[in-house]
Amino acid sequence: MGANLVNLNVNPCKMCMPMGAVTAFYGIKNCMSILHGSQGCATYIRRHMATHFNEPVDIASSSLTEQGTVFGGEKNLMKGLENLIELYNPDVIGIATTCLAETIGEDVEAYMKKFHETHPEERVKLINVASAGYGGTQYEGFFRALRAIVSQVEPKTEKNDYINIITPMISPADTRWLKSLLDETGLHYILLPDLSENLDGISVRKYERLKSGGTSLEEISRMAGARFTIEFSDFVSEDSSPAAYLKEQFGVDYARMGLPAGIRAMDRLYELLEFCGGTITARMKTERGRYLDAMVDAHKYCAEGRAAIFGEPDFVLSATRLCAENGIVPVLTTTGSVCHTFKEKLEGEVQNAANRAMAEHYEILDDCDFDTIEKYCKELNVNLMIGSSDGRRVSHKLDIPLIRCAFPIHDRVGGQRVRTIGFDGSLFLMETAANLFLEKKETTFRQESYEKYYKDSNAANPPTAKENSVMDIKQNTPDLLAKTVEEKNATHPCFNCGAAKSARIHLPVAPKCNIQCNYCVRKFDCPNESRPGVTTEVLSPEQAYKKYAVVKAKVPNLTVVGIAGPGDSLANFEETKKTLQLIREYDPNVTFCLSTNGLMLPLYAQELIDLGVSHVTVTMNTVDPEIGAKIYHHVNYMGKYYTGVAAASILLANQLSGLKYLCERGVVCKVNCVTLKGINDQHLEEVSKVAKELGVYIVNVMPHIPVEGSAFESLDTLSNKEINEIRKKCGVNIKQMYHCRQCRADAIGTLENDQSIEFRGCSGGCSTEKEEKEPMAMLRFAVASKSGILVDSHFGHVEEFYIYESDGETVSFVEKRSVKKYCSGNADCDDHDDRMESILNAVADCNGVIALRIGESPSRKLAAKGIAVYAMYDKIEEAVKSCAKKQSVLFSAAK
Amino acid sequence: MDERTKLLEKYSSRVYKNRKEHVIQLENITDQTITANTRAIPGSMTARGCCYAGCKGVVVGPLRDVLVITHGPIGCGFYSWGTRRNKAKAGEDGKNFIPYCFSTDMQESDIVFGGEKKLEKALDEAVEIFHPACIMICSTCPIGLIGDDVQAVAKRTEEKYGITTIGYSCEGYKGVSQSAGHHIANNGLMKYIVGTGDQKPKAKYSVNILGEYNIGGDGWEEERILKRIGYEVVSVFTGDGAYSTIRNSHLADLNLVMCHRSINYIAEMMKTKYGIDWLKVNFIGVGATCKSLRDMAKYFGDPELIARTEEVIQDELASIYDDMEYYKSKLKGKTAGIFVGGSRAHHYQLLLKDLGVETIIAGYEFAHRDDYEGRQVIPFIKEDADNKNIETITVSPDEKLYRERYTPEKLEELRQEIEIDTYDGMIPDMNPGHVVVDDYNYFETDELIKIMKPDIFFSGIKDKYTILKGGTASRQMHSYDYSGPYSGFRGAVLFAKDVTMSLYTNAWAYVTPPWKNTPMLTGTLTENA
Repeated sequence: MGANLVNLNVNPCKMCMPMGAVTAFYGIKNCMSILHGSQGCATYIRRHMATHFNEPVDIASSSLTEQGTVFGGEKNLMKGLENLIELYNPDVIGIATTCLAETIGEDVEAYMKKFHETHPEERVKLINVASAGYGGTQYEGFFRALRAIVSQVEPKTEKNDYINIITPMISPADTRWLKSLLDETGLHYILLPDLSENLDGISVRKYERLKSGGTSLEEISRMAGARFTIEFSDFVSEDSSPAAYLKEQFGVDYARMGLPAGIRAMDRLYELLEFCGGTITARMKTERGRYLDAMVDAHKYCAEGRAAIFGEPDFVLSATRLCAENGIVPVLTTTGSVCHTFKEKLEGEVQNAANRAMAEHYEILDDCDFDTIEKYCKELNVNLMIGSSDGRRVSHKLDIPLIRCAFPIHDRVGGQRVRTIGFDGSLFLMETAANLFLEKKETTFRQESYEKYYKDSNAANPPTAKENSVMDIKQNTPDLLAKTVEEKNATHPCFNCGAAKSARIHLPVAPKCNIQCNYCVRKFDCPNESRPGVTTEVLSPEQAYKKYAVVKAKVPNLTVVGIAGPGDSLANFEETKKTLQLIREYDPNVTFCLSTNGLMLPLYAQELIDLGVSHVTVTMNTVDPEIGAKIYHHVNYMGKYYTGVAAASILLANQLSGLKYLCERGVVCKVNCVTLKGINDQHLEEVSKVAKELGVYIVNVMPHIPVEGSAFESLDTLSNKEINEIRKKCGVNIKQMYHCRQCRADAIGTLENDQSIEFRGCSGGCSTEKEEKEPMAMLRFAVASKSGILVDSHFGHVEEFYIYESDGETVSFVEKRSVKKYCSGNADCDDHDDRMESILNAVADCNGVIALRIGESPSRKLAAKGIAVYAMYDKIEEAVKSCAKKQSVLFSAAK
Repeated sequence: MDERTKLLEKYSSRVYKNRKEHVIQLENITDQTITANTRAIPGSMTARGCCYAGCKGVVVGPLRDVLVITHGPIGCGFYSWGTRRNKAKAGEDGKNFIPYCFSTDMQESDIVFGGEKKLEKALDEAVEIFHPACIMICSTCPIGLIGDDVQAVAKRTEEKYGITTIGYSCEGYKGVSQSAGHHIANNGLMKYIVGTGDQKPKAKYSVNILGEYNIGGDGWEEERILKRIGYEVVSVFTGDGAYSTIRNSHLADLNLVMCHRSINYIAEMMKTKYGIDWLKVNFIGVGATCKSLRDMAKYFGDPELIARTEEVIQDELASIYDDMEYYKSKLKGKTAGIFVGGSRAHHYQLLLKDLGVETIIAGYEFAHRDDYEGRQVIPFIKEDADNKNIETITVSPDEKLYRERYTPEKLEELRQEIEIDTYDGMIPDMNPGHVVVDDYNYFETDELIKIMKPDIFFSGIKDKYTILKGGTASRQMHSYDYSGPYSGFRGAVLFAKDVTMSLYTNAWAYVTPPWKNTPMLTGTLTENA
């Protein structure tokens, strides 16, 4: 069942117990198995095994019919046994029950007794195992069958010098490897089950119906007298464990270890074999060295790995260990089985790997279906899947490579020969993974790096080659042209006075700016659209989306979403785009508008159209580069810094070509002009003419409001009358805007009624109660500092916390607190939980933690305890004061 | 001693008594009978599956817009997930549940305390996430035994969401094979879906294709040809089929029946209820496809349609002529054996005949006597306890929608020429000396190959490897070894290519190692050497 769905399993990641039971019987010499139940069980299981192993699979059925469900299945089972013996003459017959037999309560043991009584001449050994499909999954069925085998075969208790080796389901090829390794050590051993030949046969003239490979009855009986047992399973339960049975009944000591995959497990195996008196040969040591060498060779590529591992618990854990020690982060480890110890046994391994790769999110899930696996593959950014071929649908859908190395493999040949254990099995798995990362890198690395670091320079042409740049932009025009301007403006309050009843929200998702206007101070919002001197809380696209959703629920007439800063919307294009996409999904009818300085407009114009932006405002204060040189201090364009006329030319060229492109395609464009006395106040008529030519819908001549600290701080302003004079002049050329409110970048509501304060600090879920002015409470902070002067320590490296209190105005030092180091930065992180616990205790009474840096995992844990996290580099007093201010805002907003 | 005797003499008298009725060697084609559709012998390694497999796996599983949920422990759902290669693509509604497996994944406590609640909640979750057009619940063995009432849950779910929901009691132990499941599935489709739509076909002549499961895309090739001639395919039962089209299936002019075994119930019921005749067609094989297309044209009797059919046939034949000639030259004179479910063992004989290959062994897994001998034997089939337990529903002419296409006299006249409303079975297409086996098993497959030595044996995944190990070429006829389509004209070429490739693969040449035939070294041994 998925994490979200508790009753519906969508695409199961597990099989049933009878499947495991009959697989185990396949490792016994001259053994046949019969499923007591409907014949569909045998047919389905044979079909599945045959496809995986590419071998004939003979599993009989007692073919229970409706009559059998009423009168019991004795007759059918008896007949089935007789016919099996007649056709195959086996030494052993495994009888596994199914859902049907268990539900009607068949007493197979009694039937077996009766069979022997009525067939005294038959020497065949009957072994029964209760394996209801609803009682567990294939790995439990497998061990139950093994336990039934060792407990039902007549034991020979006299001591011998054999070592019992018990494996979960491993491939025939892996079994052959294991046998040759054991042979090499010189140990005498009994392998149970021995799957090496029966499910991976050779081409022969006469096909052998009864399988002569596998563990013989004689060997099984001697297991009771063996010196020692090694059982390869981390998850086998005590009551299904053959090793535990042999210990209880016959005092055979045992050791349990996971599947020998990866260097630590192999070292452990060598250690155990040596302990049992085996020789670790020079060749075996060489193998270790070679594997280690390969680990070093591949580590750079493995380090990019974020794996999803799914399947039987033992397989998942061994593959997880292997991945972890090779630097592949097993971000998603899942099993379909209901397995209560799964998380507990995997957590340390996964967490360690995750921490090394700078603390990431991960999930460890039992009782998990592929629907859930798919969900987390997306969420956790998985780039490799490891498991059975059942992962192929997710792999295909999400384009994540899948290493097929567990049962069942239905869409490739060679399922019987997959290798995952031993040094060469580990090598195969690890190098296949590394090569997949390399392959991916080879095909995408350049593109990705380009997108990430160099994309801007791609649009290098626009500044001068206007026409070309326009032609370069992807041509594809939605139905914007089909609507009239009036239709498009009908719900937009800024473009239509009549739409004053429509509300809009400005989402402050764009903090960065790529130009410096002389009338602007960057530490405040861009004054183009905002009252100067106001700083806006910047939201991530997801927060913005949530905020939108919250506001929309309270303000139903909200029809317009605008992105207006606090920086430039196109200088933060990814955020802008993401925000608009999220909202579009939520509401297909919302009107999008956006304001920009226009520098990046040619590059993104088509994308804006594709995103459904219908209104764009460009602040174009001049159409003369000489004048522009006075207005703009500098322009940051394509990674280069321009000043003076050059800067203004680039900006202007892009504004013009961008506006032209948008207007031609039906986007309603507005030009804002900030009227700067003595600089452009006489020039705006010219600007409005150009705007008209470009197809701009409306021009908004705005007064300049000087901002303290800006270059134009002391520039004289124009009176309203003067402004209106200019508007009149411009109005000859183009429609003028008279109702501008110069709203904030986070404005919400109608033009008449800005409600933004009600939604402050609210990126979803929180109440919209009005903020009440309250005296600020004293807040306590734990500061990570070595010097005691600066916030200069990583959270994970801190030995002592400096505890401070502040109300946002005053700051006072309380005490120093010593804590055990949470992470010393080396491999020794075993007692993670304890350290985490002590560190959390040390800061438990604080409202916030201030550190130079902090990992994801601890910050999540802190957040869960309601402790705010601030990462910064500053003087302690300053830091505490500013954090206290921030926090009190959040505090009151959350009340 | 004939081949049949050689095969059966290996059995003990007890098994012999049973099996002798199921294995016949043809002497006189017209009056030989076979026993079929009886219980498999326990322990015999039968190829048969269960009732659930017939209902969920075969008939309702391929409906692309239907959310089919397996109510039971996980195994059954898992094993029937995507194993039959019935291809489908999403329609205009964007729905395609074929890649999914939905299960209630019952645990021990659900068996003890009942699973109805869990099923109901699972359906709530399924509806919320997947918005299916229709839901079908398929029961596995424990359901009937623990007393979960899937029909009641279906009814409640339908009332709650207004989504057609059908509960199938297709527990694995019912009947003697998949066949029981086919019948149960047919009943549900007929009762709850056929006849609920009102979208009339637009073309002059419209058909449904019944018993086409679109394995490897077979149905798509058939639709391609039919559309080329000008037919409208209203619905397909059920490969790439949909609830949304089956609702309108009763408005078509004619039903074409591919797999007689699995779908004849619906064909018959639609004849009774809506007056739609059904025509047994076979689009496997070039000759068979041509015949089926011509029979259809004859049924409608429109000269224009007959001419158009001929035109398309000639064009299609011309396009595959060279390829077919080449493969015939490679395959002529070979012999084949074929053991498949309930219709392919017949259909593929005709395609093999096109290629000059004679089928000397043929067998069905779960067919009834009428599939071997023809529908005229139906009145003489003995009912037994296993069959009686499978519900038979009776329908009567629909007051509004029943429309007789032709008078009984006219139909009788047509029947002289074409298989209308009837099926003559497999045996009439076979020759004296050929062996026919019902409910074949591993042992018989093995022995017959040894005795009759066919060059190639067509069978399923379970026996494929036994045959290959023994050194005989084999191709999988249930899911085509990842190949297909094999139907129609283009499919025939693909099939011929695949068979040729299998027969002529290099590997067979090395089965006998060189040192068995010729000495590796020559020389003389002397005492001093």
